[in-house]
Amino acid sequence: MNILICIKQVPDMESKFKINAEKNWYDRTDLAWRMNEYDEYAVEQAVRLKEQVGAADLTVLCIGPDQVKETMKKALAMGCDRGVHIADNDAHKREPLEIASMIAGFAKDKNFDIVFTGMQSQDRGSAQVGVMIAELLAIPAVTTIVDFTFDNGAIHVKRELEGGGRALVKATTPVVLTCQLGLNTPRYPTLPNIMKAKKKELLTLAVPDMGGIGACQETAAFYFPERKGSGLVLEGELPDMAEKLIHLLKEKTGVLA
Amino acid sequence: MEFTREIYWNVGHGFTTLAPMYGLLLVAVAIFVLGCLKRIKVYRLGQPLERTDQLGKRIKNLLDNVCLQTKVFRVPGAGTAHALFFWSFFLLFIGTTLIVAQADFSDLLFGVKFLKGTFYKLFSVILDLAGLLSIAMLSGLLVRRYLIRPEGLLTKRDDALMHGLLFAILITGFLIEGARMAVTELNTPLAAWSPVGLVVANILSGLGEAGLRTLHTGLWWFHLLLALVFIAIIPFTKFRHILTTSANSFLADLGPTGKLTTVNLEDETTERFGASELTDLRWKDIFDADACTLCKRCQDRCPAFATGKPLSPMLLVNQIGETAFNNPKANLIDTIGREAIWACTTCRACQDICPASIEHVDKIINLRRNLVLMEGEFPGEEVMTAMEQAEVNGNPLGMGYASRGDWAETLGIKSLAEDSDVDVLYFVGCYASFDKRNIAVAKSFITLCQAAGVKVGILGKEEKCCGEPMRKMGNEYLYQTLAMETIETIKGYGIKKIVTTCPHCFNTIAKDYRDFDFAIEVEPHPVFLDRLISDGKLQIKTDTFSCTYHDSCYLGRHNDLYDAPRNLIRAAGGQLTEMAKTRDQAFCCSAGGGRIMAEESIGERINIKRVQMAAATGAEQLLSNCPFCLTMFEDGVKGADVEAQLRPKDIAEILAERL
Repeated sequence: MNILICIKQVPDMESKFKINAEKNWYDRTDLAWRMNEYDEYAVEQAVRLKEQVGAADLTVLCIGPDQVKETMKKALAMGCDRGVHIADNDAHKREPLEIASMIAGFAKDKNFDIVFTGMQSQDRGSAQVGVMIAELLAIPAVTTIVDFTFDNGAIHVKRELEGGGRALVKATTPVVLTCQLGLNTPRYPTLPNIMKAKKKELLTLAVPDMGGIGACQETAAFYFPERKGSGLVLEGELPDMAEKLIHLLKEKTGVLA
Repeated sequence: MEFTREIYWNVGHGFTTLAPMYGLLLVAVAIFVLGCLKRIKVYRLGQPLERTDQLGKRIKNLLDNVCLQTKVFRVPGAGTAHALFFWSFFLLFIGTTLIVAQADFSDLLFGVKFLKGTFYKLFSVILDLAGLLSIAMLSGLLVRRYLIRPEGLLTKRDDALMHGLLFAILITGFLIEGARMAVTELNTPLAAWSPVGLVVANILSGLGEAGLRTLHTGLWWFHLLLALVFIAIIPFTKFRHILTTSANSFLADLGPTGKLTTVNLEDETTERFGASELTDLRWKDIFDADACTLCKRCQDRCPAFATGKPLSPMLLVNQIGETAFNNPKANLIDTIGREAIWACTTCRACQDICPASIEHVDKIINLRRNLVLMEGEFPGEEVMTAMEQAEVNGNPLGMGYASRGDWAETLGIKSLAEDSDVDVLYFVGCYASFDKRNIAVAKSFITLCQAAGVKVGILGKEEKCCGEPMRKMGNEYLYQTLAMETIETIKGYGIKKIVTTCPHCFNTIAKDYRDFDFAIEVEPHPVFLDRLISDGKLQIKTDTFSCTYHDSCYLGRHNDLYDAPRNLIRAAGGQLTEMAKTRDQAFCCSAGGGRIMAEESIGERINIKRVQMAAATGAEQLLSNCPFCLTMFEDGVKGADVEAQLRPKDIAEILAERL
């Protein structure tokens, strides 16, 4: 099997975010970087599939500046076989369609059986790239999968639906699957695999032909929403706190009316 | 009259005595040697380890712990009985050797006799009393083991065998002496020099000379046989501790205390890390199992064992021994069990008290290394998350690295990047940087330094975790990554001295980093502050308060620093009520060994237990010197429901309150 896993390097969400000079995205200084959480589920699922079927080749793909290779190494240490880095210092400005067309541009002649992606990125959160790759490659996409089984070419996935429901979807290859929290618990790479990862192929490519697709939207502004109201922590002795709570409930709500 | 006795009285000193005697001795020694060789072969299954350097120090340890029984003596009761038994039995051994030396060598070959006159009188009375003391101590130990039966004491076939054989040797010895004296010494002035023998002689005297002589011959050969059996079975029974435990005092780890072995991660040919099989261990780890006497001192002090977790350091060491000698192909991790391996807090209480110089902690870390580095396993997902956080943000708490120095913003403290001309670098550590409760400690420490006119710098957002919890949890790779980064950062500023408020950082930077060519002086804050006060640079107002003090494992047992923190408490006016388990006997807070990152889901909570011990003193404040301890105690006072009576604090805080 030939499998593609698309990952993104994102800032750790605990970082101190500041707005950039153009005021259209966050500033990149003082950020710690890591693999997008949903993409970790994608990598893990691909590695598990390879462990199951034996004969599979896992290509991990990442778009961005040189520093994304650090994150790619983790995917390689988790068990991907080779890495493809599409060098693009402007990746953070790209809209989902541009990213998807870069990936499709790379993937179109490679005959991938399954493309795993995260269901969305933790920073931009458009949740569009996976489905757009499928569209551009003219293959089906199943989104937000929380369970995956592969049996003799038959794929069964469970999708998470709104309201807590689940849908069981059958699919065959080729297919794009976007991975949701709950799909699996990503492994911690073992030291021998970290060592091996350092020697795995990691190709850096220029931005591939995007089939004439360019930007069709623009982020006009990036800002932190104004704080409207805030939580209140009551402190002090228990009876006093109870008094205060009753007072607040009476004054601000109708529950005691 | 000449004070002496006829050696080989009644049994004769001819060929018919000596030939079978030395023949049997030869057999016994042959069995002994073969038994030893067989065991040595098993020790050699382990990895190489150099333990013959610093000969002087090793020989001193050997003499201290064997001849003086120093470590054995640390626990009164059984330890005292063992030491007294050892000395008295050793005297009997010397006595027998002197007899052999005179009768079969000096007298036989050169006609020289030295067992006579005053020397003989002393010889006689000393051996007589030594025999009595041996019996008394052995009886005491017998009563303890079989009647009192202390909780957790494992009694096996070997123990019965040892008690039986030793009693038989001692009692037959007195019977032989009594029979001989009844014939040759009764009513002579010499008899008074064998008081116990005299009592036996008086009891036996009714048998008549012929009967006594028959009894004497029979018992003499029986006693000899018992002594030879004793020699022969040493390698096959717990008697082997006479050799192995003694040898282990010589082979002991000479420190620095608590410094772990650094794994060479540069060597690309290494494919196995840590230990999951016997052959992954060092030979000393297998030898340790043979040196263990099951005295259970380790188990009695283990905080994990005391709170119902499936770890007994004694059992773990013996499981390694069982594996080595009975099932060498078995998987050690499955044999010992993951929950036991993860339960250790590396508090070192086991290793510190062990009279056999066994190294428990290294074994556990080695097993953990295998789980983490080879299997990617952790005690829980929360630990894996903490590891990943440390990789991304340089702290296990998952806080954004760039805000690491924020706590100091209003204090007029600069990072070294802004101003590296400082007296000391304060290595803040993760908890004092990010945890609200511990930030208060960092601030207090800064206040104290400023009051003493010490110019302090911090690394701010350049500081990362020292790697200690990760290392103790088995993640040697992450530890080394963090350590290298920290070392490079610190060295880049050319500073001369580092002060820590976290004993885990202290121990790691001061000891473990030495393997990476890092030699900058490091001092823990109690020592640093104690000197500022004694130098008169820091003035503290004495204001009486009641407190108890918890010796953190990493300042106490790992670094023997017990006095500096107590000096500080006294300087501040603290009326210190010690807990029952204090100083080198202190009971861990639960957070060492990387357990600060882990949930404690099995058994009772260690921290609550410790807080209860503190509350039992009636003191109002529970002082410590470690951010992990403080975190655990803040949690523990809630769990033990003593929040109102007992306030956990760092020593730096009580000082800063009294400026």
